[in-house]
Amino acid sequence: MAIIERPVDVPVAPTPTATTNFGYLRRPVETTGWRSWAFTVDHKKIGIMYGVAAMFFFLVGGVEAFLIRLQLASADGTVLSADKYNQMFTMHATTMVFLFVMPMAAAFANYFIPLQVGARDVAFPRLNALSLWVFIFGGVFLNTSWFLGGAADGGWFMYAPNSSVPFSPSNGVDFWALGLQITGIASLVGAINLIVTVLNMRAPGMSMMRMPIFTWMAFVVQMLLLFAIPVITVALFLLMFQRSYGATFFSVEAGADPLLWQHLFWIFGHPEVYILVLPSFGIISEVLPVFSRKPLFGYPFVVFSGAAIGFVGWGVWAHHMFASGLGPVSVAVFSVATMAIAVPTGVKIINWTLTIWGGKLWFTTAMLFSVGLIVQFTIGGLSGVTHAVAPSDTQQTDTYYIVAHFHYVIFGGAVLGLFAGFYYWWPKVFGKMLSETWGKWNFWLMIIGMNMTFGPMHILGLQGQPRRMYTWTDYRAGEGFFNGAFWNMFATIGTAVLTVGILCFLINVWITHRPGSATPVAPEDPWDARSLEWMSTSPPKPHNYDRTPIVHDLDEFFHRKYEDIGEGEEHNYVRRATGAEVIAEEERNADAHIHLPAPSYWPIVLAAALPIMAYGVIYNTLLIVAGAGVAVMAMFGWALEPADADPSDFDPPPTDPATGTELANV
Amino acid sequence: MTANERTSMHGASTPGTFGAVTHHGRLARIGAIATLGALAAGCANDAPQDTWQPAGDNAQKIHDLQWPVFLIAGVVGVAVFSVLFYALWRYRDTGQPIPKQTHGKPALEIGLTILPALILIGVAIPTVGTLMALADTDDTDCVINVTGQQWWWEIDYPVQDGCGGISQPIVTSGQMVIEVGTNVIVRGTSRDVIHSWWIPKLNGKRDMVPGRVHTNRLQADEPGIYAGQCTEFCGLSHANMRMEVIAMEHDDFEAWKANQIEAYAAPEPESLAAEGEATFISQCARCHQVDGLETADGELQIARPDLNVYSGAAPNLTNLMTRNTFAGASYDLLNETCRPLVWEAPSDRVGERYNEGVTADCLNEVELREWLRNAPAKKPMYTDPTKLEETNSLPRGMPYLALSEDQIDQLIAYLLERK
Repeated sequence: MAIIERPVDVPVAPTPTATTNFGYLRRPVETTGWRSWAFTVDHKKIGIMYGVAAMFFFLVGGVEAFLIRLQLASADGTVLSADKYNQMFTMHATTMVFLFVMPMAAAFANYFIPLQVGARDVAFPRLNALSLWVFIFGGVFLNTSWFLGGAADGGWFMYAPNSSVPFSPSNGVDFWALGLQITGIASLVGAINLIVTVLNMRAPGMSMMRMPIFTWMAFVVQMLLLFAIPVITVALFLLMFQRSYGATFFSVEAGADPLLWQHLFWIFGHPEVYILVLPSFGIISEVLPVFSRKPLFGYPFVVFSGAAIGFVGWGVWAHHMFASGLGPVSVAVFSVATMAIAVPTGVKIINWTLTIWGGKLWFTTAMLFSVGLIVQFTIGGLSGVTHAVAPSDTQQTDTYYIVAHFHYVIFGGAVLGLFAGFYYWWPKVFGKMLSETWGKWNFWLMIIGMNMTFGPMHILGLQGQPRRMYTWTDYRAGEGFFNGAFWNMFATIGTAVLTVGILCFLINVWITHRPGSATPVAPEDPWDARSLEWMSTSPPKPHNYDRTPIVHDLDEFFHRKYEDIGEGEEHNYVRRATGAEVIAEEERNADAHIHLPAPSYWPIVLAAALPIMAYGVIYNTLLIVAGAGVAVMAMFGWALEPADADPSDFDPPPTDPATGTELANV
Repeated sequence: MTANERTSMHGASTPGTFGAVTHHGRLARIGAIATLGALAAGCANDAPQDTWQPAGDNAQKIHDLQWPVFLIAGVVGVAVFSVLFYALWRYRDTGQPIPKQTHGKPALEIGLTILPALILIGVAIPTVGTLMALADTDDTDCVINVTGQQWWWEIDYPVQDGCGGISQPIVTSGQMVIEVGTNVIVRGTSRDVIHSWWIPKLNGKRDMVPGRVHTNRLQADEPGIYAGQCTEFCGLSHANMRMEVIAMEHDDFEAWKANQIEAYAAPEPESLAAEGEATFISQCARCHQVDGLETADGELQIARPDLNVYSGAAPNLTNLMTRNTFAGASYDLLNETCRPLVWEAPSDRVGERYNEGVTADCLNEVELREWLRNAPAKKPMYTDPTKLEETNSLPRGMPYLALSEDQIDQLIAYLLERK
């Protein structure tokens, strides 16, 4: 990381003229074009790229979901073969969990954690770029399996021994195991980076208990990732050696117990559920107070319940295994622990409701998505309690009731929260407001669509329709008009509504940003927001804040705009300044010296080495060597590259070398 | 929540049908009022795998536990949404001043934390009680083994005093026959991947894991055919791995057992069935066992599926036509005319009708022919000889045998006598 000092007023801006692009020991200087994105270490650009890539995978996963529902629309469906269907549901889940929700949450965390803690960037900017590119290459690698003999077909839980070569002879599971190891590296590196950022780089005055709630929840998520990713990595390593190198970790004939995989997978897999939803909990905990014009009710309770979920989340994994034959004592322990985790989750719902209570509500699209999350997640949480009751779960597990439950939790929880975040922070990130009209179509069609799709699955599951079946038969659908056949068709129609809802979002983005769009530049503080990230311009400058903010309050930005003229316990807030005025004030008092890291070639090169090695594991050991060679070269390049770009890369060369480097970082 | 209403609906409209459900009828009706009434119509009658229509003691224990939990969940849901939607309406922006910037009320928070905790403690205690009751094996009357394999269940009755006495092993597949009212312990394992044994109306599911033996209690109050399905994803044809439990009265069960161990009856010489026997020996018997079958030179024909199928077994066909489904209980052996006579038989006739087996008039010849003509085309299986390098050239499932139509005629004639 380059630490550069420069006066804020730059008299002449030298033009970057990198005559020797990609020099082994140079730093990139381009401020425009694809190079300014590919080699950037700016957390904001990285956050945007995370978001774009995750959105792409969301659409891929959505197409997979649609094909699944088409196949199941009527009995004996023929849209997909059994083999393709099994690949489809495996990759739908894998894509949505690992390539959409996790990286989309990472997009928000990358973009907003540094802004919310008042930092100029993350603690390790080059590592941040590495996380992004490792994720992208890992996700693309995983999906190339579609064109190389078929994708993984063992379900996202990939239970042994069905994942072994004799039972899944294509290379799909190899792609899956290697692809997730690669994206796991991205998550782990990102987690360490953001944890250090939160612990070490908070602005003066920002104690942990003054941290914006999104940063808190994202911080808990990074801690969960830090401990969960190694577990799945171990499991994936075992699976890789099982399949590619003749190991027998999961070979029953060699004495292995298949339940080993289940424990490893779910010790990761359950915290993973919280990894998926807590960022969205954080997002709506930002949105609800802003549009209720009130602070978050019980901030410390929300923080500590989030942390409590982070701890208790480690003690409930076996509730995914109530039918696995663990024995009644183990099942009883995990059953009770699972009920216990409902308490901190309930605390959050209570606090959100009480945040709204007594407020002055403004129903923007972001607010609607947040309220939608409370409602849908509550339904998912309550159905969750019904299968925390282990004996009931033995009737419900592996049926569509569970599919209904976790879609209410993950779509209703995580995804609606992410959409709330899109609408709330869009003007912050892109400087333009998304259309509220399209936004409301987006919201209502998604809500109606998701309830039409996932609501009937409760009924289907309780009436005994198992999951992961490429076909179902009329004989088991029951009699009467509202039978299984009706609800399967209904759910498929719901999927179409949901798809139109999501298309509304894409249309909204297009009409806002298409060339010649009439959408005006957004005001600096369109929502009369409360937290620190809004105290920067929209979009923020490369260095985020002109002056390192000094924090006095939770909801710092609100308190800069409003003054409490009440006496004693009586609070009475009156507006003293607009957001734009507060930001202008910061600009007038800009720091004389601003520190920014320089871009680097090496993160993307190092990231590219990983899929090469992974293809090598599948196809040819020589490729592993080649990939390792690239990785070693990249690590040396990374270690040895200078802190700044060369002054000769600028025209005219800056008199103060630091000036040029600073511009190169933009 | 929806299932609450279903309980009440059944309780009201068909009293007595669902045994213990009815005496909870009143409470369940309150639950129905508390939840969304409109969804009450949203449920099929008589879905064969309905988890809310227990037909035996074990499923009833689960049901007695789950409906109050659904009720509580429904009430909590309605309470939360009432408060939330009231707040959303009451505090909409009508030009009121900036609200008080309250940061929270710790006493209220703590109270609202303890309340759900107390509710959950109330749920946890009966949960643990039911768990222990469902793990009990002391009251077992009958032991039946099940073994999962891609993609069918083998079911065998070991020699025992239980089950009213089993004097020699009975091996069958796809359909388990039990006596009404007896406590059966299913001991299960698997030959390849993890499968899950689930007869929803009789009990919750239990995974059957290779290398381990897991148990599952079964008991049926009334004679009937109870449908089930493998519920742990087990590969390509997971959707086509089904099973049924047939519960019958004591006398019918004794008759069924006696029939299962009857000596092999060779077909009439020079009949079509006799040609079928020869075809069976040449085409089928290397995998499928028919007990008592002898080769032309008088030797017992012993099937060696362990040498011919990757997972090591194939369904025993000794009494195929005493069952009424085949190929992992995926397809009916009874045609559409005869199927309802057995499947929808009145409770007191189930055993009798079932024990009649499949006659030539009742045979679902269309699907059985399709199966014999090209099994992997009907049910997806790993049998393509060019793709078996990872399984020592052994198929998983029944391969394409290139049988002629004449051979199929012969086999059907022969198989029709297997009962």
